Amino acid sequence: MGPYILKRVLWAIPALWGLATAVFLLSRLLPGTFGTEQILQREGAYFSKGSETDRKAAYREYVARTGQDLPLFYLSVNPKSQASAITPHLTSSDNAQEQLEKLSWRYGSPAHAQAYIARVEALEKSFETSADELFRAKLALLRTNDHIAPLQQTVKEIIAIAPQPQVRAAAAKVLTALQNLKQQQQPLAFLLPQWTWHGTNNQYHQWLLRALQGNLGESYSSSRSVTAILLEAIGNTWWLLLCSMLVTLVIALEGSVMMAQKRGNLLRKFLLPLLFLLDSIPPFVLALLLLVLLANPDFLQLFPVYGMGYYMPQKLSLWQELMQWSYYMALPALCLVLFNLPYLTSQVYNAITAAMQADYTRTARAKGLSEAAIVRSHVLRNSLLPIITILSDFLPALVTGTFIVETIFAIPGIGRLLIESVLSRDYPVLTGIVLVVAIFRIASYIVADVAYAWADPRIKQKMR
Amino acid sequence: MAMEPGTLSPVSYSDAGALQILNLLFQSLLSADLADDKIKPYLAVAMPQVERLDSATLFTYQLREEATWADGSPVTAADVAFTLKVLKAPLLNNEYLKPQVQFIQDIRVDTANAKRFTFVCAGYSPEMELLTGDFFILPAYLFDPDALLQPLEVAALSGSLSELENNSNLKAFAARFNSSEYGHSTSILQGSGGYTLESWESGKYLTLKRKSDWWGNDIPGAPYLSANPGRISFQVIPDNTTALLALKNRQLDVLESIETSEFQRIRQDKSFLDDYALYTPDTYEFIYAGINSRLPKFSDKRTRQAIAHLLDVSNFIKVSEQNFATPTVGPVPPAAKAYYNERLSPYAYNQQMAADLLKAAGWQREQNGWFQNTEGGREQLTLSVNYRAGSSSYENAAIIFQQSAAEAGIPVQLQAMENSLLSQKLKAHAYDMFFRSLSGNPFVLNFQPLLHTNYADQGGMNVTGFGTPESDNVLDAINKADTPEVKAKLLKRLQEILHDEAAFIALYYLKDRIAVHRRFGNLKISGLKPNYDVSAFTLKE
Amino acid sequence: MRRLWQQEAAFKGAALYLMLLLVLVLLLPWLPLSYAPNQLDLAHTLQAPFEGTATAAHWLGTDDLGRDVLSNILYGARTAFFISVPVMALSTLLGLVLGTSAGYFGAMGLRTSRKNLLLLVCTLLLLCYYGLYLPLQIQRLGLGVQMIFESLSVCIVLPMLLYGILKALYPYTPFLRASVAVPVDPAVLRLTEALSTIPRFVLILVLASFLPPSVLLLSLIIVLTLWTGTARLARAEMMRIKQLPYFEAAQSIGLNGRQLIWRQALPNLLGPVLVAFTFGLGGLLALESTLSFFNIGVPSTLVSWGRMIAKVRSNTSAWWLVVFPGAILSLTILALYTCNHYLSKIFQEKSTG
Repeated sequence: MGPYILKRVLWAIPALWGLATAVFLLSRLLPGTFGTEQILQREGAYFSKGSETDRKAAYREYVARTGQDLPLFYLSVNPKSQASAITPHLTSSDNAQEQLEKLSWRYGSPAHAQAYIARVEALEKSFETSADELFRAKLALLRTNDHIAPLQQTVKEIIAIAPQPQVRAAAAKVLTALQNLKQQQQPLAFLLPQWTWHGTNNQYHQWLLRALQGNLGESYSSSRSVTAILLEAIGNTWWLLLCSMLVTLVIALEGSVMMAQKRGNLLRKFLLPLLFLLDSIPPFVLALLLLVLLANPDFLQLFPVYGMGYYMPQKLSLWQELMQWSYYMALPALCLVLFNLPYLTSQVYNAITAAMQADYTRTARAKGLSEAAIVRSHVLRNSLLPIITILSDFLPALVTGTFIVETIFAIPGIGRLLIESVLSRDYPVLTGIVLVVAIFRIASYIVADVAYAWADPRIKQKMR
Repeated sequence: MAMEPGTLSPVSYSDAGALQILNLLFQSLLSADLADDKIKPYLAVAMPQVERLDSATLFTYQLREEATWADGSPVTAADVAFTLKVLKAPLLNNEYLKPQVQFIQDIRVDTANAKRFTFVCAGYSPEMELLTGDFFILPAYLFDPDALLQPLEVAALSGSLSELENNSNLKAFAARFNSSEYGHSTSILQGSGGYTLESWESGKYLTLKRKSDWWGNDIPGAPYLSANPGRISFQVIPDNTTALLALKNRQLDVLESIETSEFQRIRQDKSFLDDYALYTPDTYEFIYAGINSRLPKFSDKRTRQAIAHLLDVSNFIKVSEQNFATPTVGPVPPAAKAYYNERLSPYAYNQQMAADLLKAAGWQREQNGWFQNTEGGREQLTLSVNYRAGSSSYENAAIIFQQSAAEAGIPVQLQAMENSLLSQKLKAHAYDMFFRSLSGNPFVLNFQPLLHTNYADQGGMNVTGFGTPESDNVLDAINKADTPEVKAKLLKRLQEILHDEAAFIALYYLKDRIAVHRRFGNLKISGLKPNYDVSAFTLKE
Repeated sequence: MRRLWQQEAAFKGAALYLMLLLVLVLLLPWLPLSYAPNQLDLAHTLQAPFEGTATAAHWLGTDDLGRDVLSNILYGARTAFFISVPVMALSTLLGLVLGTSAGYFGAMGLRTSRKNLLLLVCTLLLLCYYGLYLPLQIQRLGLGVQMIFESLSVCIVLPMLLYGILKALYPYTPFLRASVAVPVDPAVLRLTEALSTIPRFVLILVLASFLPPSVLLLSLIIVLTLWTGTARLARAEMMRIKQLPYFEAAQSIGLNGRQLIWRQALPNLLGPVLVAFTFGLGGLLALESTLSFFNIGVPSTLVSWGRMIAKVRSNTSAWWLVVFPGAILSLTILALYTCNHYLSKIFQEKSTG
């Protein structure tokens, strides 16, 4: 058993770390970072506080300062014609960069594309006052289009109608740049891959280092540190989970023991179908039903509607806090117990009945022990191992199973944090939660391992 | 408050809760008085003197004589200069506010009077006056005790800054400034405002204490400067319903942004109403629909007007906001009575008129929709509506619109998307129609960046492509208007043009819902966030 | 099966209910319902059931946008089945294929030449780069379809070239000819373990946050994560069957692999797989409702039970929004689990008896 669990742990670690890595990489690939919301797109008002160019400059500074313009991973494979290995999401918020990429991909030569763009900027500057209507549209075209023919056409038009000589000169230079681009074009260059090794100067490495030190970054939506948010959330969920799990376990064990005995026939005929029925109600329906029936101001209000409880600035005595907390937790805990009871009970019951039919039970009966004593001392002891297996699988499921209860009863725990971060695309928090779940899984395997050793002395022997 | 402030640094704060608290700790030169929603001089004695030169504008301010910091030293122009340096320097965590003050090129301190100074700003736009007074003034003695930034000149901070990045003084200052201490420490966050930060229990509450003899309390010319309550405590309650519970249990004195259905419920609760007063101020945030007038199928304004007639605004309000909203005719709030065009009425929901307008625009109604003959062949009138995902207001509005349009024979496809993706698509002009919200203020009604054709290129704010030569002229004239009457006339004309063009269709202005305990008076309830001025609260007898 | 039908009343009831629901769902477009599911009746929002006049009869009430609960329940059943059944079928198929091959080939069963292995690995890499990465980038930059075609054609041409080269070299190099065992069983086992360590819901949530809400993508994700249960079952069964005498007999006759699996093994595998199918279907219904309840991964224009039930969160006094859809949902899942329970009993008896 021992080595088996250890092997499971060894396989679990890479799988879960792989998932966290995948989440991190994907989140960086998507357009939009914390900065874009706050800095680049602050235009909720009638007027914008600060011109577009200023905001772009500030955004670029922010990105440089927080290291988001570093390459994504240690190694990157890019087409030969890609202008730079900068992370893709930055290009989408920068028109010039985007046009550079498009031209380099299409015509295969980043250097010439860069030259063209520089010449266009010079052209724009050559208009002494800001260009009027006619030119503005053409200049906009020069900045966005990525096919040579329309660009050449537009430049020729500008030369034809521009009054100032320096404008015409600048436009002529643009034309030569375009000509160069056309002559040197290699349309299929984008198909050749190019490997670049970035060493440790990449975002992933930085993130990994920081994560190993415990700093998981900051949330996109509230800019608080992710570790602080997670710790708060875990604190709220932990006691709820523990209590409900203990209650479920106790009921499952007692119930199965009672049902396994001969006297428990009636109970069994009644309880098993009831649990079966309960199992088929989806968790969120059950929670909502309980909410609507028992916590509804218009109906029966036995329990408070939502929340973790009162907001008390003063300190209450421990007993009072406990009373209050349990009043608010009663309904969510009840829900959790009802969700998990059918599964756990049926598994425990199967394990116990399997043990009941074993040889040693017959021996015990022959010895003359009472039914109760048999069940408690022999059967239970021997069915502990499968029960521990079930529990070790069950623990992580509890974590994710509570998100329904937390969302519906508005308890600020890990499950609800997961749902909220998914809905608001808050990737640092999401990565953090995935890591926490991973760690929790591994921890449960290790605990199961230890529990095995304790429950079965034979394993302890083997491990020695 | 709903969310714990990430940081209380007056330079890098980014949420509304932090702003509310910072307004009590620090002051800016100009600020809004929530009693009448007007900009008034707070740290300054009076509104600035404006002098317009060819390529620059000069704003001259005089600080109040009585203004002092927490340690008693006077607030001087040197502090203002220091603030500008902090806001504009590289390497510091100031990118949030930097673009806002970029236009201030230099500050000239009056040698004779340490409390008088002039901002030198590039160019001119009407909101500059407001923006020069919109940032918090920082105490140099507290933030930079070693005078590291003293040798830097403000004028040197405009333009290319790469050499400065190697300045050792700046690096030392940046190392200290960017640490979390500057955003969380009670000893550093002391400004010229009426309160100091007494304690901050992370995740639980923040308490502010009134300064023992604050200079601002008895200034004859400025009754709006106030610090009445002795102690203010902000509770951090992230969950709306828990906050409501706390309110119902009489543990909170003030709660804003109460959810609509809950608000309806507590309105009926007699015992609650005995202790608390409920208010629903009109905010300056409104929801609008935009149609891409560049697309050939929407180029005729009658088509756009027909679509506007299919927007059932009264039902939007009833379903999404539970009637806590006011329909509006344009982007000017109905509350701004002087500028709101009452003679215009918003587009009424009218299927017949929509059909007539479509026929007039050249569409023919056939079996399965409206068709038009164009050069590329026959085109059907279909719509794809984009809006930000996750908000039920937009979603309900979109679904109701989809049904109204289906009745009229126009198939509509709904696409909820993430905010940044939506912004991208709108700026690239790759959409048919969208729902969005915009928030403004009553001070500066400068719609130029939003509605002028100069900004109608890809990447500009004018995403709908709205603009006629007349509207451009009106927008320019509004910014040059010298008297309110002229401005009002021009704004009303602008609203008429907007209504006629039907590319930017304002739907309704939102209302907020607040409950305040009845023992307080002088609340200054207003539409501007945070909707009440806690420093002005007085105890009723 | 017939005996079950005749004897167990519960089974009969459950099976009848499911068939009735299926018939109703299929005939839905022709049924005379007074309201379409997405039709808004803004004058009668949040109406309680059994109210209303004869003309504007919303028998089971309406939600906050005025949509009729009754028609939403019926069309929601349609959505539930039209999504769950194909997804479950596909994932069962995938699991069956993977599990059976893992069980049959074991770790050493499948042997192939190094050339083939090399070819496979190289093709996969090329596929990833030229078939996925490059087109995605081209799509993102908006460069046009032509470049995508060029990339895809390279993706096809290069492997063919590689195949030609390797085939030419094949007779000359013993290295390429060497036979190598493809470790099917360990690979599938590791894959299932890796997938099952990650809680499925978390995985779906995470993936749903990256992708736009679409039923197709969601179904794909679910298929790719749900196959592990069936695979494990199929693998265990296959390994058990491999040791049975009739299988050895068939092998000794000389039937080749494909016939062995198809004729001898699969018919006996189908039993447990059917059991897994009904169980999985119930779970899938619950999953789909939960996702649409949270408005994750599914567009909000999809008629679904979960969407209706979600409305009760903002209107807690509208009990009809949770009781009716919830009851139907639970009943359906109950029926599926009942069938599953009895079916598993039969197959257990059959395999032990």
